[in-house]
Amino acid sequence: MAVAAPAAGQARAGRERQIHLPAQALALAGRSVRSTARQPEMWLPSMIFPLLIAAVNNSAMAKAVLLPGFPPVDSVLQFLLPATVVQGVMFGAVSGGSDLALDIENGFFERLIASPVARPAILVGRLAGGAVLGACQAVIFVVIFRVFGAHVVGGPPAVLVLMAMAVMVTLMVGGITAAVGIRTGSQESVDAAFPLIFILLFMSSAFFPAELMDGWFRWMAEHNPLSWMIDAARRLVLFGFDWSDAAVAVVVPGLISVLTIALAVRQMRKRLERAR
Amino acid sequence: MSALPAAPSPARAAPGGALLGVARGLAARSLVNVTRRPSAVVPTIAMPLFFIVAFSGAFSSLTDIRGFPTDNPINWFMPWAIMQGAAFAGMGICFGVARDLEDGFYDRLLMAPTHRASLILGPMLAAVVRVLLPVVTVSAVGFLAGARLTDGPLGMVTLLVAAEGFALVAGLWGLGVVYRIREQKSSALIQVGIFVTMFLSVGQTPIDLQEGWLPHVARLNPLTYVIDMARAGFVGPITWADVWPGLVAIGVGLVVLGAWALTGFRRLVR
Repeated sequence: MAVAAPAAGQARAGRERQIHLPAQALALAGRSVRSTARQPEMWLPSMIFPLLIAAVNNSAMAKAVLLPGFPPVDSVLQFLLPATVVQGVMFGAVSGGSDLALDIENGFFERLIASPVARPAILVGRLAGGAVLGACQAVIFVVIFRVFGAHVVGGPPAVLVLMAMAVMVTLMVGGITAAVGIRTGSQESVDAAFPLIFILLFMSSAFFPAELMDGWFRWMAEHNPLSWMIDAARRLVLFGFDWSDAAVAVVVPGLISVLTIALAVRQMRKRLERAR
Repeated sequence: MSALPAAPSPARAAPGGALLGVARGLAARSLVNVTRRPSAVVPTIAMPLFFIVAFSGAFSSLTDIRGFPTDNPINWFMPWAIMQGAAFAGMGICFGVARDLEDGFYDRLLMAPTHRASLILGPMLAAVVRVLLPVVTVSAVGFLAGARLTDGPLGMVTLLVAAEGFALVAGLWGLGVVYRIREQKSSALIQVGIFVTMFLSVGQTPIDLQEGWLPHVARLNPLTYVIDMARAGFVGPITWADVWPGLVAIGVGLVVLGAWALTGFRRLVR
């Protein structure tokens, strides 16, 4: 009995942690959102740079819409809207992973582990906070683009899909950056991973139609999952709402996010094992 | 432009205090640091290589637009990628100075019996050498991928002059920022300044094919003329009209940003 008592206590604590998981995740997500909101240097670049690039491309590639094979668009901005949303939330998601690494660097992560917080809540909270910001970012981009004449033909349902896609992309990138952050415990390493994500985005049809590319680059763009979801979202923006496009835009990043979050969970388990 | 603050009087008489000698020593140290920190080389070489692949791959059809100066996307984007590498080369030396300022090494340099102008000249010399990394590697990849000089080897000379000039200007901009902020986090501001200037130019398309607000900004942006000079030997016969605005832009940049760096340095040593 003397041996069984601590085991029973541990089991009870574990059950209590699971019961309180949503509340704990919510609290940590709230912390993540508040901490990001209080540091404009964290989220301003993820708003300004994609908008700047879109504004520059809108002017620089204005005549590209005349090329045979370019989709019929009101302006390049309309074509770029889904890519800008993805680019913006990717920036933000990287800073989410970077924050997690900072939590490890400054000891907050260790304090969380020492406290009676359900382990998944640490990860879920951080990712959920980023996802909320990603959805807000999508809405802000849609509004700004609308002001400059790029409207979403698919209407409010298409905007909802853009928001859902933004959430999934945040989870997808947040999962991989969290995995790197937990594995290395170094903010610098997470930041160094950013160019790789940026490269994936460039090697897709995000900024130019794959049909107008040549050779191996076209092959890469056509087989890049980012192209699949951005092209689907783009059809919602340019041509109107369609359930199959909506599904592709959300399910593709959703499936990848399952993999990346599983990777982050695995890294977290390993770190916890090392900490024992 | 006012003179640099004088170092302590023994400095001028010190045997090791010769301006060029110390500057060469500091430049060599900066270049050795490059070999010791692979992360410092990656942006200078890897990013321009990525850009030449990504831009000439993704935007290859842009050259099909009527009025585009060349039908070869590599010819258009290779000089642009090299200019990005030059920017990284110039900015890179500033990141090293910021590191020295943070860890106290720079204080020791300021205390040393050296001519203080060497503290600016040294990093600039390092930038001049460091530019050769992207020029050589990106050119090699570009020519293998199909880039062609349209007016003989002179095209490489104008490209090299443009890259060297831009690296120096970027370096002076960065030094001015670093001397004022004195921390490594100044790197973000340095990069933002450079990349915004690069984007608001003729990186992707020539001015005549741009629409809206960008061509007006690009015309006012001195970097536009430097990039035009860099591209001169890849889009047709090189004319003096392609080259002189770039040279003037580099000259003005060196004077203005040289003053910016010097005033920052004076604040630092005050």
